[in-house]
Amino acid sequence: MPVTNATFTIERLLNASPERVFAAYTSLEAKGAWFKAPSDMETLARELDFRVGGHERFHARWPSGLVTDFQATYRDIVENERIVLVYDLFHNADKLSVSLQTIELVAEGGATRLLHTEQASYFTGGIEAVQAREHGTTWHVDNLVAVIEGKEARAFA
Amino acid sequence: MVDRLSHGSASVSELAKPMSMSLSAVVQHLRILEEAGLVRSEKMGRVRTCTLEIDTMTAVERWISERKRFWEQQYDQLELYLAREAAKET
Repeated sequence: MPVTNATFTIERLLNASPERVFAAYTSLEAKGAWFKAPSDMETLARELDFRVGGHERFHARWPSGLVTDFQATYRDIVENERIVLVYDLFHNADKLSVSLQTIELVAEGGATRLLHTEQASYFTGGIEAVQAREHGTTWHVDNLVAVIEGKEARAFA
Repeated sequence: MVDRLSHGSASVSELAKPMSMSLSAVVQHLRILEEAGLVRSEKMGRVRTCTLEIDTMTAVERWISERKRFWEQQYDQLELYLAREAAKET
């Protein structure tokens, strides 16, 4: 199976101190308030054990029947500064990617610059097969456009 | 807008004409589409021409683009959450 390796970075300036931003990651109550998906989704499992070696899981069924599973392990945590985790993403039984996600928090005045870097191995064959089988070829474009235009995405992906 | 571009390249003003939004809103929208890798634009003289990039993207490139967009959306929600938390304290 071919593999595509890729990296992307997201940079945001958040109007809160690094302490507050960090706190938004540390408990299921806080993280569940923003790291979430549309309300018509059924949560099958949601866990967060925020410590090095601890696991996070977000397992859900979508109205379309699609089951997505985000399974992460925390690898490095420096309070108010840095969070590094590795996660696998599944669609039904297919593992589509393994990603190294690094979140850096840098104080900037009273605000926080958040840098999110994701380095991943994308399992090309699996992604193509999922697209063909579950959604047809136009699904991803439709979904992406829906997200961009402010409508809710059809899948946690 | 994406639908219009699927019929061929167009200038920003051509794209804005049938829309019920302001030119600056159209420009903002195009910027988001460009950041997501869906649209490419080129400036020639005073005219900026936009072209749909979707057709040239592979399934995996689209997927990665969507993953990035997914996290951007989560951070929009994080911003709202932080604002709500700050409001609770004051």
